Amino acid sequence: MRRILLVEDNEMNRDMLSRRLQRRGYEVIMATDGQQGVTMAQSRSPDVVLMDMSLPVMDGWEATRTLKSSPDTKDIPVIALTAHAMSTDREKAMEAGCDDYDTKPIELTRLIGKIESLIARFSNDIVQTEATT
Amino acid sequence: MSDLPTHIEEAIQLKLPPDLMHDMRTPLGHILGYSELLIEQMRDQGHEEFIPYLEKICKAGHQLLETMTDNFE
Repeated sequence: MRRILLVEDNEMNRDMLSRRLQRRGYEVIMATDGQQGVTMAQSRSPDVVLMDMSLPVMDGWEATRTLKSSPDTKDIPVIALTAHAMSTDREKAMEAGCDDYDTKPIELTRLIGKIESLIARFSNDIVQTEATT
Repeated sequence: MSDLPTHIEEAIQLKLPPDLMHDMRTPLGHILGYSELLIEQMRDQGHEEFIPYLEKICKAGHQLLETMTDNFE
């Protein structure tokens, strides 16, 4: 079962999205701020992180930079989730190291497509890296 | 050229502040997400009679989102 780490401070967003993903067969673990998200990514090794960007304690941009700068977590794909739909928000997320971006309200089929595509891409990258070393 | 009065045209072209759009998108996401979740659960549990009403909520939510996206972002 694929494990998703959902980092989201809004309780209703967490509840709603986790239920919908669990119905599709994913294991969902949750963090409520960026710092907790980093800690859980290190300890639970999720297959993908869904990162809200406006978070307390440590925001999503900083949390993503922290994950991508660590050898232990740099290969975990991160999808930024934000209710801001401006193109600059997407650019800012990608600059922080996010691997993809989606806007709220979440369209579940689209989001699952991105999750599966990234997991497949990262799995291939790891296989190729191991083959060349 | 549109047939709409100028003040209506200006109102339609108004760009809302990004924070306000964010604050509107968040509860709209709850409405859409929970109604879609309920549709799936009702279908699983065989309560087909509720599904048309939930689909109306979903449709209205998507119309509102489209209006916001097309006119205010």
